[in-house]
Amino acid sequence: MSPTILFDGIDEPGLNTIDVYRRRGGYEMLQRALTTMTPQQVLDELLASGLRGRGGAGFPTGKKVSFIPAAHVDKYLVCNADESEPGTFKDRELMQKSPHMLIEGMVIGAYAAGANRSFIYIRGEYIEQADIIDAALIEAAAAGFLGENILGSGFDLSLVLHRGAGAYICGEETGLLDSLEGKRGNPRLKPPFPANQGLYQGPTLINNVETLATIPHIIRMGGAEYAKIGTESSAGTKLVSVSGNVQRPGNYEVELGTPSREIVYDLAGGPPEGREVKFWFPGGSSSPVLLAEDLDLPYDFDSLAKAGSMLGSGAIIVVDDSVPVVDVALKLAKFYRHESCGKCTPCREGTRWTVSMLERVDNGLATPMDLDIMASVQEQIIGNCLCVLGDAMAMPIGSMVKKFRDEFESHIEQARARNPFLGQGGPREPDPVLLQGAGNA
Amino acid sequence: MPRPVKETIAFSIDGLEVNAPAGTMLVDAAKYGDVEIPVFCYEPKLGQPVGACRMCLVEIEGIPKLQTACSTPVRDGMVVHTQTDRVKEAQEAIVEFLLINHPLDCPVCDKGGECPLQDISFGWGPGRSRFIEPKRHFVKPLELSPLIAIDRERCILCYRCVRFSQEIAEDYQLVLQERSANTYVSTFDGHPYVAPFSGNIIELCPVGALTSQPYRFRARPWDIEGSGSLCTLCPAQCNVEFTVRDDRVLRVLSRDHPEVDDGWLCDKGRFAYQSVHVDQRITHPHVRVDGELVPVSWEQALDAAAEGLRAAGAAVGALAGGETTNEEGFLLAHLVRAALDSPHIDSRTGGSLPRELHAALHSPSLQAIVPDLEFAHAVLVLDCEPVDDAPVLDLRIRKGVRRNRVKLAVATSRPSALDANATAVARFAPGAGEAFCAALNAALGGTGVVDELAVAAGAEGAQVRALAALLAEAGADVVIVYGERLTHGARGEHAARALLNVAGRLIDGGHEGAGLLELPAGSNGRGLREVGVLPDAGPGLSAVNQTGLDSRAMGAAAAAGHLRALYLLHVDALRDLPSRRTWAAALHRAQTVIAHADFLTEGLFEHADVVFPAESYAEKEGTVTHPDGRVQRLRPAIARPGAVRPEWQVLADLSRRLGHEPGILTGAMASAVLFDAIPFYAGLTLDELGGRGVRWPTRPASAAWPAADTGPFGLETPPHAPTPNGVLRLGTFRSIWAAPEVELSPALKFLRQSQRAELSPADAQRIGVGHGDHVIVASNGASVRATAVLRAAVPEGTVFLETGIAENSATVLEDAVVEVAPA
Repeated sequence: MSPTILFDGIDEPGLNTIDVYRRRGGYEMLQRALTTMTPQQVLDELLASGLRGRGGAGFPTGKKVSFIPAAHVDKYLVCNADESEPGTFKDRELMQKSPHMLIEGMVIGAYAAGANRSFIYIRGEYIEQADIIDAALIEAAAAGFLGENILGSGFDLSLVLHRGAGAYICGEETGLLDSLEGKRGNPRLKPPFPANQGLYQGPTLINNVETLATIPHIIRMGGAEYAKIGTESSAGTKLVSVSGNVQRPGNYEVELGTPSREIVYDLAGGPPEGREVKFWFPGGSSSPVLLAEDLDLPYDFDSLAKAGSMLGSGAIIVVDDSVPVVDVALKLAKFYRHESCGKCTPCREGTRWTVSMLERVDNGLATPMDLDIMASVQEQIIGNCLCVLGDAMAMPIGSMVKKFRDEFESHIEQARARNPFLGQGGPREPDPVLLQGAGNA
Repeated sequence: MPRPVKETIAFSIDGLEVNAPAGTMLVDAAKYGDVEIPVFCYEPKLGQPVGACRMCLVEIEGIPKLQTACSTPVRDGMVVHTQTDRVKEAQEAIVEFLLINHPLDCPVCDKGGECPLQDISFGWGPGRSRFIEPKRHFVKPLELSPLIAIDRERCILCYRCVRFSQEIAEDYQLVLQERSANTYVSTFDGHPYVAPFSGNIIELCPVGALTSQPYRFRARPWDIEGSGSLCTLCPAQCNVEFTVRDDRVLRVLSRDHPEVDDGWLCDKGRFAYQSVHVDQRITHPHVRVDGELVPVSWEQALDAAAEGLRAAGAAVGALAGGETTNEEGFLLAHLVRAALDSPHIDSRTGGSLPRELHAALHSPSLQAIVPDLEFAHAVLVLDCEPVDDAPVLDLRIRKGVRRNRVKLAVATSRPSALDANATAVARFAPGAGEAFCAALNAALGGTGVVDELAVAAGAEGAQVRALAALLAEAGADVVIVYGERLTHGARGEHAARALLNVAGRLIDGGHEGAGLLELPAGSNGRGLREVGVLPDAGPGLSAVNQTGLDSRAMGAAAAAGHLRALYLLHVDALRDLPSRRTWAAALHRAQTVIAHADFLTEGLFEHADVVFPAESYAEKEGTVTHPDGRVQRLRPAIARPGAVRPEWQVLADLSRRLGHEPGILTGAMASAVLFDAIPFYAGLTLDELGGRGVRWPTRPASAAWPAADTGPFGLETPPHAPTPNGVLRLGTFRSIWAAPEVELSPALKFLRQSQRAELSPADAQRIGVGHGDHVIVASNGASVRATAVLRAAVPEGTVFLETGIAENSATVLEDAVVEVAPA
């Protein structure tokens, strides 16, 4: 069985309080890092650990910290707790049950990056979690783990919790920074990257909750030891949110490289009795879908990338054979259309166009040629956008059209046959549901 | 601050080896190889690129993804492709995307024919669309403001207008609302977008989403011609292009001149062209017959004028208004001095600065130029309000602060629009510029006690010291922008000396990037002084035999019956000049009043004996001189209406009738004679001026500028500003909108100003008036009705009233303190 690191004792009652957290050894790593190690030594451990960002892009964390310039300017650490990727709910559980782990990780991370101001940007819907963190921040500050001259180390860090207002795009790091600055949450052009010019134009380290929460454990184990877990290029464990058509949806901590089948079937219980896995999203709703036969892939960054998808935020969504693929595609496209910020052309127009086409597919008003256009539109979006939101729709939709072309076509045929105004072979009995949908009831 | 110097690098684009300045964005670098990369959102004038439209995607070897050429700086050895299949596919994709929600209503769109979206769709688009779904709809068109119509369906969300509002004009009014394809441009609360520079967004818009209400449906691009000239409605002298159809000006566009206007226009400059074609224009000469002004032939009018002038002899006073060209001013001086033998001629509305001080203040070694505002270490805005006095310079100062971190110091009586951008702000009593400069001079190490002088100026010593510290420590490049009003008033020359002392402490003479920049009261104020429209200086600031009366003294002399004739060249004496009551008496008393005017104003209607129809600025030929010494050329865009004649010709004809042949037969000859007569203009030709003008201080002939003592001077103790004890100090200002052109242009009429009394809340409470209440402001038997406007930033003890407005102008109040009472 996989080693448990982040979720070790996670369900202990009262772990969200500083007393229980400290009784379990909490904040000892903060003390060790700040009082016995130099920032460079902390950074070396992070580099040695091979930890890759858990937010979606999988960028090596140590490398990202090392990009923060050494100059004497205001530097910032921002924790991305916007967790808005559909299917992802791991940070929610972490913050709710062990907020101090995140705070401890942030202090150590800020110490390594030389940042003296830090923020947690939390998804607006996480009301309970925000309250828990606020309470934890008060405890941590009272205990001297935040504020000026932490534990007599001479290191200062302020930490402010900021609640988002409900936009998917604010989980994109530069959109998040603009939102945090009080502006409209639109992504910025990169470069400059946040490490050079981020929050308030200062060098900014921005990381996911899970990434930052892992830092104390790396200090405890030592980077080299941590790197032994998982695969060579995907070190450590990963929190996986499993949802969709499975019997035991929830968060599971797995060693990277665990066969995906083990996660879906052994941990999450597989699809309900009598159903089969039709396809699955390995890394949240923006990852290209994989088929049932891909379940043997090891669950790590490289294996999934090689299979044409991605590990993303580590959210497996399972879709079984009872669900029409068009329904999933339409739901997904509508989500991205709604969340597109509107700044760049391909995403703004492409998401809307895709929804329109999918609606016609669903109504039976489309032809197979529309599927070609739909596939082509996804191609036109991918790689041409300002940020990755456009790709986040285009990649899964594109993969669905490609892998389930037959089903899309038969969906059109069936819808056309059901539609009393379109069906071939003369008038049929009007379908009351359809009539209602058309506003005629 | 040193201007960025860019080394040249070599890169390859579409197989061509091209040299371009390092760091240039690829879109611009490509132009060095004659490669055009299409853009919508990219506009370097708006600051950093945003990469929103994605139209400029190109392939760069070594980078897997296509890159936006607008945001990728060119580097040595870069290999760029803009014609590969990949790039073409991306470009076609973007055009296809942009057009799916665009209404494609080109046949009825004002932009049609001059629309980047049309051009780029044609040049880089796929030529067909696969989009068959319903388009997104908005209610349209809507009034974004009385000047601008917005069609949100045409909008491609390039962000240009919003960026202009947020980052250039800094009025922070335009925002984007909603998300995704439902995004639209709006003001936050739906209020009309009214701001001094709002019209620029029309020109920035790359589609027909923002159109000019006055120009809407007036012409198609193939109906019109563009005619380059200048806007002479203010001293900024922006370079403009008149859009002309059938001899009517239908639109004014910017003719981007980086050294003058940076490509922006204020709304007055953009829309006041309408006043050229209003019914109120006088298009025939008028002579007073039996108490009525009646249209007559030119012969009759010229005879009447010559007769009146001959009868007055040397008892003639002549004034030239700010819109007078150098040639007209020169000919007026010739008429007055040579033909009439009168010394009384002036172009300044107040003050009587001796010619030596003019020479010192404008000496080429102390002259700052407009781009210096952008790159200076520090800029001091002294006794002027750029947004009112020379609006486009307000944008230049903001640009310097925002982009180059220029340190801004503001020292004015009235709270300035630039206060928010300033590092240091100081306030002083209206008219106490001399004492303030003396205090600043003391704080910079000169003689005098800072605090005593500050008290005399009605300022706070600490503010003066903070300002001085900022300027002294900023660096070598210090620019002082001061208003002509500083040297108005009886002690104008003392103020000028104090200013020169300050300049001497902050500015190294001859150092590039530093210097003084005056904002004259009149558009061509500088040029008119240089061509000799001064009571004590002839052409080229040369000495004259007899010093005449300045404008204020002329008013008094005429009112006392000492001047028999007044010659008003583009001067509305009752509106433009201080001391309205004196001038009303002067006009009444003078036997002969001759005026050149566009419109029959109140004073002319009652008092003028001969009125010559004036040319509008769109009809004029000649030159004007920018406040930084740039001689610029006006070219006629349209024919003169009715019987209007070139005014140089009218002046020359009058001289001729009075027995002095000026030897000028064409407009070009007038310029040539002028250039010959002014030693520091020597050798200039209209060809050399071309479309961009020439700064004479950079030419060898500038050595002929009269030498002058630039200080340091021993300063007299300045008089104390009046104590506002129960009464209030009176400060005046002339708003950008206080102009007959604004009142007469149908589109701008809504901005017509009525008198408002700006009060501090504390004073208002003491007097017992609230915001919006009517008040009467009175002194010495004269009074003005106004609406009280409470502004927290107004210093206690001072009330500000507007001048230059048609009714209730503050110029009837001649005392330094006034009483304010509820009406």
